[in-house]
Amino acid sequence: MGISIAVHSSKGGSGKTSFSINLAFAYTSAGKSVCLLDADFKAPSLFNYMFPDSDRWLNDVLDGKCDIMDAIVEVADDTVAPGKLYVGYCNPDIDAVREMSGKDRKWQSKALQNIMGVKKKLFSSGIDVLIIDTGPGVDFTSVNAIAAADYVIMVTKPARSHQKYMEQIIDGIYIPLGKDYGVIMNKCHDNKPIAIPGLVDPDIPVVASIPCLCDIATRSDSEVLTVADPEHPFSKAVFTVVRTIEDCLSNK
Amino acid sequence: MTIDDSNEEIVNLLKEISGKLDRILMQGTSTKESDEGIFDVLDVMTLLTLPDHLRATATALFELGSATAEDLAEKTHKERAVESNYLNQLVRMGHVVKGRSGRKVYFSIGEGLGK
Ligand SMILES: Nc1ncnc2c1ncn2[C@@H]1O[C@H](COP(=O)(O)OP(=O)(O)OP(=O)(O)O)[C@@H](O)[C@H]1O
Ligand SMILES: [Mg+2]
Repeated sequence: MGISIAVHSSKGGSGKTSFSINLAFAYTSAGKSVCLLDADFKAPSLFNYMFPDSDRWLNDVLDGKCDIMDAIVEVADDTVAPGKLYVGYCNPDIDAVREMSGKDRKWQSKALQNIMGVKKKLFSSGIDVLIIDTGPGVDFTSVNAIAAADYVIMVTKPARSHQKYMEQIIDGIYIPLGKDYGVIMNKCHDNKPIAIPGLVDPDIPVVASIPCLCDIATRSDSEVLTVADPEHPFSKAVFTVVRTIEDCLSNK
Repeated sequence: MTIDDSNEEIVNLLKEISGKLDRILMQGTSTKESDEGIFDVLDVMTLLTLPDHLRATATALFELGSATAEDLAEKTHKERAVESNYLNQLVRMGHVVKGRSGRKVYFSIGEGLGK
C-alpha cells in the first residue's frame, strides 16, 4: 500500500507548494513512484509551468466525471530518475474556480468519497506516494484532502498570526480526524528554528526548520532544490521529513 | 395627520412586521437544521462535529467506501457488535445507509434525509 500526504498551512504563502514539489522529487530520487496533485482549487498553485500540460482536471475527478488515471500526466525527464512522477492539476479557469466555491455539502461529501477512491486507484496502479498540495486554512477542499491523508504536513511561518491559528487547526481538525502530522517552520529568521520564543506549544511536533533565504525563492522557478542542491537547508529539511514520515507510519 | 401620511406609516409598519416574520421563519428553519446534525448529509465538516466514537466509525467508513460491521470492526479494532450499534446510530441520523447483498448487510455514506 502507498502513503498519502497532505501539505497544508493555517494561512497562505508559507511555502506549501514549494515544499510539495521538493518532497515529490525527494521521493523520486529514492526511486519511488509519486503522484503530485494541486488541490488548491480556490487559488491554483499552477506548478504546471515546470511540468507538462494536461487538458483534464481534478475538478472533474472529484465530480466523478473523470477517472484519476486520465487526469494525471507523467513528468518524463531525467530529473525524476530513478523514480516516476505524475502530476494532476485543478482547473485554473476562473469559471471553474467560481463553480468550485459554490459546491454544496452534498457534493463535498461525494467529493470526499471520490478522493478516497482516487487514493485506492493510484495505489493499486503502482503509485507509492500521493502528495496533495492544498489551499491554506479551513474549507472543504483543504479539509477533504486532509481527511484522505495518512500524514499531514503543516507548513508554517514563525509569525504570531500563523501560529495561533495553526494550533486551532491541529486541535480542531487534525487530531479529531485522527491524523499523524508534523510541523515545518519555514522562512525562519536569523537561522533560528523557532524565532518567536514560547509561541509554539511544546507538544506540537516541529519536524524541521528552514531559514528564510532569497535563493529559495529565486531558484525555485528554474530548478528543484532537492535535485539540484541536496545539501541546501531547504532540501535537507525535506529529506528529514521523508525520514520522519517513514518512521511514523512504519510504527503503525 | 393626512391620509397619505397615515398610509405611509401603515406601510412602513407592515414592512417592519414582514421583516421580523422573515427573520423568525429563518431562525425556525436553521434551528431545525442544526438539530445536532441529524438528518444532514455527512460531509467532512459535519463529521468533525460528531462525538468521538461515531466520528471514528464514520471516518473508517469513508475510507472503506462500502463495508460490513465486521470490516469496520477490523479497521477500528473494536467489537463487531459495538460497530454495528454505532453504524445503526449513524443510519438513524441519516448519515449512513444500509443495504443487503445476499446474507450480508453493507453500510455506506448516505445522502442525508434532509432537503
Ligand atoms: N524558506 C524560504 N525562504 C524564502 N522564500 C521562500 C521560502 N520558502 C518559500 N519561499 C517563497 O515564498 C513564496 C511562497 O511560497 P509557496 O508558493 O510555496 O507558498 P504556499 O504556501 O504554497 O502559498 P499559497 O498559500 O499561496 O498556496 C514563493 O515565492 C517561494 O519561492
Ligand atoms: Mg500554494
